[in-house]
Amino acid sequence: AAMKCVIGGAQLRVFGRAIHAIARISDEFWFDPIEKGLALRSVNSSRSAYACVFFSSMFFQHYCWTAVSQPCQQEQQLSLPCKLIIKSVLPVFRCANVLERNVEKCSISTNPSEHHITFQLLCRHGVVKTYNLTFQECDPLQAVFAKHMCPNILRVHSRLLADVMIHFPTSQEEITLSVTPMKVCFKSYTEEDTDFSRTMLTEIQLSPEEFDYFQVGVDSEVTFCLKELRGLLAFSEATSVPVSIHFDRCGKPIAFSIEDLLLEASFILATLCEAEKEAASPEPACCPRPWDSKADTATSKKLQQKGNTPSVDSAKPPSALAKQEVKNIPRGKEREVPGRAGAATAEAAGGKATEAPYEKNSYLYKYCIFQFHSLFFGAVSYKEKEAIGDTFQSLVTASDTEEEFGALQSSPV
Amino acid sequence: MRFRAKIVDLACLNHFSRIINTIAKLAKTCILRLTVCKLYFILSDKVANGGASMWCELSQGNFFDEFQMEGVAAEHNEIYLELMPENLSRALKTSQSAKAVKIKLTNKHCPCLRVAVELPSLSSSSRIVTHDIPVGVIPRRMWNDFREPSVPDFDVSIYLPVLKTMKSVVERMKNLSNFIVIEANLNGEMNLKIETDLVSVTTHFKDLGNPPWASEDGCQSSAQGRDLESMAEACIDIKKLQQLLAGQQVNPTKALCNIVRKRIVHFILLQEEVSLQYFIPAIA
Repeated sequence: AAMKCVIGGAQLRVFGRAIHAIARISDEFWFDPIEKGLALRSVNSSRSAYACVFFSSMFFQHYCWTAVSQPCQQEQQLSLPCKLIIKSVLPVFRCANVLERNVEKCSISTNPSEHHITFQLLCRHGVVKTYNLTFQECDPLQAVFAKHMCPNILRVHSRLLADVMIHFPTSQEEITLSVTPMKVCFKSYTEEDTDFSRTMLTEIQLSPEEFDYFQVGVDSEVTFCLKELRGLLAFSEATSVPVSIHFDRCGKPIAFSIEDLLLEASFILATLCEAEKEAASPEPACCPRPWDSKADTATSKKLQQKGNTPSVDSAKPPSALAKQEVKNIPRGKEREVPGRAGAATAEAAGGKATEAPYEKNSYLYKYCIFQFHSLFFGAVSYKEKEAIGDTFQSLVTASDTEEEFGALQSSPV
Repeated sequence: MRFRAKIVDLACLNHFSRIINTIAKLAKTCILRLTVCKLYFILSDKVANGGASMWCELSQGNFFDEFQMEGVAAEHNEIYLELMPENLSRALKTSQSAKAVKIKLTNKHCPCLRVAVELPSLSSSSRIVTHDIPVGVIPRRMWNDFREPSVPDFDVSIYLPVLKTMKSVVERMKNLSNFIVIEANLNGEMNLKIETDLVSVTTHFKDLGNPPWASEDGCQSSAQGRDLESMAEACIDIKKLQQLLAGQQVNPTKALCNIVRKRIVHFILLQEEVSLQYFIPAIA
């Protein structure tokens, strides 16, 4: 598939903030244009945080998507999701706040045959900055999370959340959200062996009245990673759409999402499961089924949790993704997943569960509900500077264009 | 041992925060001494601090609307706590619009200063932010380590130039050298000098004025016989001087320094409600 879109004016800031928010999750992200719009997704290496931002075609000044069928394929390929290194994209949207002032439009277009995505910033005074980024083909990434099944739902303006988080130091890794029908409390996370004589603890109590929507079905205390959330908070401030928080008891994921006509974003974070801290040997996930490249829906391995039933509902974004055909690609090397987990992150090749190494000082994050089919090719060489050439047609031709070649270094992954 | 205090006035709260921010720039860890009338922030001149020491004194009545204290014993009605001023600074940082701030000494998991900030909110009930700052209680037998330092027998005492100017000069010099020579005479002249292999830079200040010190035994008055032009100098760590100047958020009413030739420089910064003394030893 080929896609071309143009982001203009005020939406640039929103898009830039989305990229920055996703950057907090991982070094790379999935760039997934579909007919209805553009989805950006990311998951962190320990699979404890997942982000998805979907921009509908109405978000863009111009959005054009065409399915391209390749002669060698049996079926028409509906979409070509691809992976980009986020460090290559971030410079494009550096200083998202000042983007509006200098940049009039940004156009993004994919060039599947040459494995490029081109970001072009049309700036003031006729300056055009072009970034050609090489992408890596990959399988779709998708998390399944049944938000509507969560007993606890809060909705609040992002300003309030930002005002709450400002009281915690930027170095604060995890915080605990504790709710009862009478009060809401955010506090620094402490574990049994916390050295209280060295740690400053912060706690903020809010009344339910401060929330636009407040539903607490079950008293709960969930602990999640604050660092990963801060990106979403900055992003939602740019959009001024209220943030919805869906969660359950500890151990089950917590979802922070925003939604309006133009975009939807979800950040799903694993929460700490207090009761089930394990010592040396983490539980392996169930053995995944062998990779089925013809799988219709996103049903690869599920990570089973002790006592937590994974949900099977389809998730946002639109189900078009769930139904898409995955092209038959050769198996890449098994991906090592280092990181905090005890739970195994099972990969496709071979069907054997890979257990992430246990880290002595941290605790277990139990994941649920992530379903991935993820097969990655081996290393892709990144081409550095590329001339635009005549193949790319600019929507706007300014006189005296000054082209600057963005230098792209592949960062060691 | 009990301590409970409350600040309601926003101006007092902001002033108190600024003082804490200044202290936080000077010391990673320091002693907070509480008496019935005053608070003291003390840094003793142990080697770990690079030899610099600090004595900051404020009258509690100028800041707190409520202040109740019970010391370790009736005849020693004081409390000495060791804490990281950065924590206190952080706790007060977001209290710009607070309705009230309460500070209390508690002992939940360990001795803590609990700072509770009551913030206005959209609903009828306020938002309460609580910070538990861990503190160490200093036993009475160690209190002698933290006595007020005496004013040294200085060679020259001189008023400092406008701190903002002095700060920008020192900051630029800091890029060139690790040490700075501060010298002054009884004629109101001060020089700040750095010297490296490649470059030496001197900034001259004049007409600064010398503060009159009433001495107990009248020996200062014999300064008439002394050479007014003769400079007393000391070479000190430039970073310490820069920290002192950078931490000043408000212009003090009086700022002066006493130089003991080649031994120590004693800075005194006075405001209406607070006094700060900072000692920087000379590098041999």
